[in-house]
Amino acid sequence: MNPKIVRMTWIAALLVGALALPSVVKVPYFMHLIILALVWVILAQGQNLIQGFVGYVSIAQAGFMGIGAYFSTLLTVKLGWSVWMTLCLSPLFTALVSVLVGYPSLRVKGHYFAIVTLAYNMVIFTILLTFSSLTGGEAGISNVPRPAEFSVFGWLFNFEGRSNAPYYWLVLLSAFFATGLCASILHSRVGRVLVAIRQNEVLADAVGVSTWRYKLFAFVVSAGLAGLAGSLYAHYIGFLNPEPFGVDQSLNAILAVILGGSGTLTGPVVGAFAVTFLPEYLRIADSYRLVTYGFILVVATIFLPRGLVPVAQSLFLRVKSMIAGKK
Amino acid sequence: MIEIFQQAINGLAIGAVYTLIALGLTVVFGILGIAHFAHGSVAMFGGYLTFTFAERFGLPFFVAMGLAMVVGAVVGLLIERLAYRPVRDAPHINAFIIALGLTMMIEGINLLIFGADQVVIQTPYRGVFNVFGIAIAELRVLVILTACVLIAVIALLISRTKTGKSIRAVAQNRQAAVLMGVNVSMVSLVVFSISSALGVSAGALIGALLAIAPGVGEGLAVKGFAVLILGGLGSIPGAIVGGLILGVSEAMAAGFISSAYKDVIAFLVMIVVLLFRPEGLLGKR
Repeated sequence: MNPKIVRMTWIAALLVGALALPSVVKVPYFMHLIILALVWVILAQGQNLIQGFVGYVSIAQAGFMGIGAYFSTLLTVKLGWSVWMTLCLSPLFTALVSVLVGYPSLRVKGHYFAIVTLAYNMVIFTILLTFSSLTGGEAGISNVPRPAEFSVFGWLFNFEGRSNAPYYWLVLLSAFFATGLCASILHSRVGRVLVAIRQNEVLADAVGVSTWRYKLFAFVVSAGLAGLAGSLYAHYIGFLNPEPFGVDQSLNAILAVILGGSGTLTGPVVGAFAVTFLPEYLRIADSYRLVTYGFILVVATIFLPRGLVPVAQSLFLRVKSMIAGKK
Repeated sequence: MIEIFQQAINGLAIGAVYTLIALGLTVVFGILGIAHFAHGSVAMFGGYLTFTFAERFGLPFFVAMGLAMVVGAVVGLLIERLAYRPVRDAPHINAFIIALGLTMMIEGINLLIFGADQVVIQTPYRGVFNVFGIAIAELRVLVILTACVLIAVIALLISRTKTGKSIRAVAQNRQAAVLMGVNVSMVSLVVFSISSALGVSAGALIGALLAIAPGVGEGLAVKGFAVLILGGLGSIPGAIVGGLILGVSEAMAAGFISSAYKDVIAFLVMIVVLLFRPEGLLGKR
C-alpha cells in the first residue's frame, strides 16, 4: 500500500479518536488539563519551528502569546468585537509585531539572538504590567468572553455551557492546524532551507540563500502560532493578567520542545503534554518545582539531547528488528 | 542641570555593578563560548549569602562579601564540572539550554534557602558628600571603587600571570593551546570560578545599593548580556563602557521619563545599537 495513504489513514483515525475523547474522559479536571495541553501544543509547535528547525532559540514565545491574548481580549471586551473574528486576527497581529522586532534581532546569531528575544519578552511583560489603564495591570481583566454559539446540521455548539467539549474541539482543531502547518513547512522547499540554516548557515549563505528572509519567516510564523495560542488561552480561562506571559513560560516552551524532541513534528506534542501534566503530578513538591524543573532540563540536555520521541523511535526500531531477526 | 549630574552619578554606581556582571559573562563567553545565563542567579545567590553572613554573624560588609565570593568561586567550579563540561563538545545551543536549566535550579535553591522576601543589606556607609550642590552618597562611591579594584585585579590576573596567559591562549585558539600543553579543563574551571566570584560581588553590591528579591537575577543576567551586546562580545573595555552607558541611560530614563519603564528604555538602547552597530560599540568588525 502507498505509505502516504497509510499515513493519512493513521492521522484521520487519530483525529477521530481525539474528537471522541470528551465522551470517554468524564472528569472535568482532566478535560481542563487536556485543553491547556493542546494550547501548549500550538505554542510548542511555534517554538519548535524557530528552535528545532532553524536552530535559533527564541525566548519570546510567552511574550508573543501575551500579545495575542491581550489583543484578542481587549478587542472583545472594550470594543465588543466577535470572538471568532479576534481569534482569526490575533495571530496576524502578533505576526505583524514579530516582523518589527524580528528584523533587528535576527542580525545577531546564536546566543545573542536568544538574549535579545528574552529582552523582548521582558519588555512585553513590563508593558503588560505597567500600562494598567489599558491592560488592567496586575489585577488583570476578568469576564473575557467565550466564542458565540453556532449550529451546524442541527448540532448546537455552545461554548459557554457546562461542558467544555465544544471548546476542546476548537482547541484540538487549532492544534491539528498548527501541527499541519509546521509539517507542510517542513516538507516544503522553505523547510529544507530552514534545516539547511540550522546545519550550516555560512554554507547556506554562500550558495546564495538570503538566509535572513527564511529566518524571519520562521520567526514570524512561530510568533503567529503563539498569538493563536494566547487568544485561545484567554477566551478559555476567561481571566487575563500578565503572569502567564513572563520569561518562565518561555523557558517552559523551550523545555517542551527539548523534552519532546526538537526538530521533530511529534516531539512538541509530547513535550507540551509533559510540561502540562508533570507539574500537576509534581504538585506535592511545589516548593521544589523550580529546582526539579531545572534539574530535568539539565539532565535531559546532557543525557537525552535528542528528546523523548527520537529515543522512543530508535528503541521501537531496535525492538522491531530484534523480532524480525528471530523469525 | 544639577539634576542631570545627580542622575549620572546614580547611574554610574549601578553601571559599575552591571560592568561587574558583564565582566563575569564576557570572560566565560569570550574564552569558553558559553552564554552563561545562570550568572544572574549566581549573583543573587551571592547577594543573599552576603546578607546572611552580615546579619547572622555580624560580619562587616566587605568581609561578608569576600567570604561569599569564595563560596561563589566554589559554586562556579561545581557548575562547570557538573553541568557544562558534559556538553563541552555538543552544539553550543545545548550549553545555553543547560544555562537556562541552571537558572531555574539556582533560582529555586535561592527560594528554598533564603525565602521569598525582599532583602536589603544594611551597611554603615550612610554618609553623603556634597560636591558643587550634587549629593553623592558614600555607598555609591564605595560601590564604584570596589568595582574598579575588582576590574583592575582581573585585568592584572589575565595580563600578567601564567594562568592568565593560558586563559588568553585558550581564548585565541583552543586547539593550538591544547597542543602547546595548556590544560584546557583547568582553564575552564579557573574561568568559571573567577566569573562566579565576580557575579557574587555584583550581587552583594546590588543588595547593598538597591535590594535583592527572587526574579531579580534573571533581569541582571539580561542586563549583563545587554552590556555585552552594547560594548562588543568578549571585550573587557567593551564591558566597562557598555555597563556605564547602560547604567547612566537607565538612571536618566528613571529620572526624566518614568521609573516603571526604565528597563524598557535600557533594552531599546540595546536594540538601537544592534540595528546600527551589530558588532557592539567597541567590538571588532
